[in-house]
Amino acid sequence: MMDWYPVFLRELLIFRRRLLKFGYLLSAMMLPIIYFIVFGLGLGRMVQMEGKSYLGFLIPGLVAMTSMTNSYTWIANSINLNRLYFKTFQVLYLAPISYSAIIIGEVLAGMLKGLFAASLIIVVGFLTYPNFGLSIPFLLALLLNCFLFASLGFLVGMSAKGHEETATYFNFFILPMGFFCGTFFPIERIPEFLKPVVFVLPLTYTNILIRKETFDTWSLGCVLVLVFYCVILFGLGFRVIKNYSE
Amino acid sequence: MIKVEGLVKYYGKVKAVDGVSFEIKSGEIFGLLGPNGAGKTTIVKILTTLTKPDAGRCFINGFDVIEKAYEIKKFIGVVPQENNLDRDLTVYENMFIYGKLHKISQLKEKIKDLLENVGLWERKDALVSKLSGGMQRRLLLARALLSDPQVLFLDEPSIGLDPQIRRHLWEIIKRIKKQNKTVFLTTHYIEEAEALCDRVGILSKGRLIALGTPSALKQSVGLFTVEYTDKEGRLKLWTFKTKEEAYEFAKKNELPVIIRETNLEDIFIKLTGERIE
Repeated sequence: MMDWYPVFLRELLIFRRRLLKFGYLLSAMMLPIIYFIVFGLGLGRMVQMEGKSYLGFLIPGLVAMTSMTNSYTWIANSINLNRLYFKTFQVLYLAPISYSAIIIGEVLAGMLKGLFAASLIIVVGFLTYPNFGLSIPFLLALLLNCFLFASLGFLVGMSAKGHEETATYFNFFILPMGFFCGTFFPIERIPEFLKPVVFVLPLTYTNILIRKETFDTWSLGCVLVLVFYCVILFGLGFRVIKNYSE
Repeated sequence: MIKVEGLVKYYGKVKAVDGVSFEIKSGEIFGLLGPNGAGKTTIVKILTTLTKPDAGRCFINGFDVIEKAYEIKKFIGVVPQENNLDRDLTVYENMFIYGKLHKISQLKEKIKDLLENVGLWERKDALVSKLSGGMQRRLLLARALLSDPQVLFLDEPSIGLDPQIRRHLWEIIKRIKKQNKTVFLTTHYIEEAEALCDRVGILSKGRLIALGTPSALKQSVGLFTVEYTDKEGRLKLWTFKTKEEAYEFAKKNELPVIIRETNLEDIFIKLTGERIE
C-alpha cells in the first residue's frame, strides 16, 4: 500500500537539498513576486475589482498560478531529465512496485512543491491584505490544482522526447493559462471569441473556485470539472508508464 | 535460469537484435561480447523489462519477461552502462531509497555491510557528485546487490575505469559468483570476458555468431595465433591448433610475426573480419 513512499521520499530529499540553495528558491518565486509587485502593489492600487481592492482579487489568482507552474514544472522536468539524461527514472521502473505507486509518489511530490510555493504567496497575502482568508473552496481548489498539474507534468515528462519539448508545452499551455484563465482579471472580461477556449482550460475553474468564500452550486461544478481533469490526466499517465519501452 | 528464444528488436528500420537465442544456467557468469552497437545493451534492457521486444520470448526463473515483469523485478539486480545514481543524494541516501523501493528488511545493516564490502562506508555521507568514476561504479554494484538478487545484470561494468580499479571490480564480481548468483554481463573488453566468464556469447550486428566456454571457442578456431602486418599495412591473423603448426607457418613468412595464444578478439575477427572496438 505504501509502495509510493520511497518514490515520494526520494523527491523530498532532492527538494530539501535544492531548497538550501538560495538561488533556487529565489528563481522559483521570482515571477509571482514580480507579478505581485507590478500588478498588485503598483497598478492594483488604482483598481477596484468585484467591489474589493485589486490585491484581494489578485492574491488567490497568484496562488492558483504559482501552484500550477510549480507542480507542473517540478514533475515534468524531473521525470523527463531523469528518464532521458540521468536515467534515474529507470531505478524506479525496475523496482518491484506497481506503476501507480510511481505516479502517486511523483504526483504527491509535485503537489508538495506546488503547495510550498503557494504557501509563500499565501503568507505574503496575509501580510499585505488584511481581509485575506482561507475558505474551504480555496483549499479544495489549491489541492485539486496541484494534483491536476502534477499529473499533467508526469504525463508530459513521460511523453516528451527531450527537455526542449517540456519547455514548449510550458510556453504553449501553462503560460497562456496563467494569463487568460482569470489570474489577473475576471474571466467575464475576456474577449468573446476566446471564452470557449478559456472554459476548456482547467485553471479557469481553479480560479473561480479559489475565490469562492462559501461552497455553492458553482463551486460544485468547478470541483467536478477539476476532478474530471485529474482522473483523465492520472489515467493517461498510468497508460504511458504501463506501455513504457525504451 | 535465463532462456532467450528468437529475440528480435527494431529501432526504426534498424534491426538491433536479430533472432538471438541462448540459455544461461544458474550460478553461471555469462558474458555477451561484442563491439559498441552490436545490440548488447538492447538485450540487457529486454531481459530487465525496460524494453519490449518485437519478436521472441525471454524467461527468467521460468517467468516470462513481458507478461510477468513485476515478478522478474523481485529477483534481478541491474548495473547499467550509464551511471544512474542520484547525484543530488548522498551515497547512503541512494542505498536507502533503493532498499525502500525493494522492500529490504534489516536495511541499515545491509547497507553498512555492502558499503564496507566495496570500500565506500567511509564516504557514506558524501554526495554522489563528489565521488570519482570508480567509486560511482562500485556504488552502482553495491546498490544492485542490496536486494540480494538471484540474477545480476552488469552492462559494461568497467567501462571508463583505469586498469587498477577495473581489477578491483573484477574481484568483487568473482566474490559474487561464489555466492552462487547468476551473472549476465556485457563487455567489449576481451580481458574482462576471459577473466570472468564461464561462457561467452559473441554478438555482431545484432546476431549471436558464437557461443561457448572461452576455451571451447578458442579450440574451435585454433589455440595459437600468428599475427603480422602485410606489405599494404593490413593486420593479418592466422590461427593454428598447435604451437608447432604456428611456428612452421611463421618460418615460411618473410615478414616479422608475433606468435601468441588465441584470444576472444581473434575469434571475433575470424568470424566477422572486424575488430572489437
